[in-house]
Amino acid sequence: MEMSLGQLSELSEGMNLPESKKIITQANINLYAEASQDFNPIHIDEDFAKKTPLGGTIAHGMLILAYVSQMMSAAFGRSWLAGGKLNVRFKTPARPGDTIVVSGTISRIEKGEGQTLIHCDVLCRNQNGETVITGGTSVRVEKRE
Amino acid sequence: MPKEQKVEYSQLEAGYEFPPSRYTLDHSIVATYLRAVEDSSSLYQDTELVPPLAIAAYAMASLSESISLPSGTIHASQELEFIDTVNINDILISYARVSRQQSRGKFHLLSINFNVFNQRQQAVLAGKTSFILPEQTGGR
Repeated sequence: MEMSLGQLSELSEGMNLPESKKIITQANINLYAEASQDFNPIHIDEDFAKKTPLGGTIAHGMLILAYVSQMMSAAFGRSWLAGGKLNVRFKTPARPGDTIVVSGTISRIEKGEGQTLIHCDVLCRNQNGETVITGGTSVRVEKRE
Repeated sequence: MPKEQKVEYSQLEAGYEFPPSRYTLDHSIVATYLRAVEDSSSLYQDTELVPPLAIAAYAMASLSESISLPSGTIHASQELEFIDTVNINDILISYARVSRQQSRGKFHLLSINFNVFNQRQQAVLAGKTSFILPEQTGGR
């Protein structure tokens, strides 16, 4: 099961997942563009981005979403990699210099034969308290003898 | 795919199927990805596992090779299901199709479903990505 949040029996609805904080830098955005092959100029070309309604570069939504995935894999281990689901909305762009707080709460636990389905509410906020990402995740955790 | 072969988003209709995209995530790509997202999880240290969001990011990047999206396109929402683990150097094939394309005032909503399989034809990831696009002609 490889969970770091605690043993399955110790989990309860309303329990918070370990929160994390990330500072967005243009260097990380550029590196992410290279890693993901997403070179949209709104992410990496400051001159271009300044002329758009956004007024500057923004991080890839999938970069911020990766932080949610990190929180889930930190809590649920390999179960997240093969049994995880997410459904999120991108509400506000994250910009270089922003501090993103990633948080999650167990909203529902469904116990079944041989496995448990854990549902979570997840949220990414910036330093102004604005919602960057909001949505839900679920992870299927197999019981082991 | 050269830009001149890209499909204009305004020409896409629900049901349109993109050409399948084949890709492999090697050690170098995964290492760069982990540095970019600052992920030092032990899950990926001294293992061959690929972070699931890296698989999704590449599936989406392959889409951007096929569609000409205008500047001002916003990634509005994302659904993902991680069905099975992927190892470094697995050969992945992504299939994508337009599930929704509709106009809302001055904006278009475009939703694309994608499914990723490994070299054993086993499903490893499924997803749905939605974009809001400004009304304009031509791509960037």
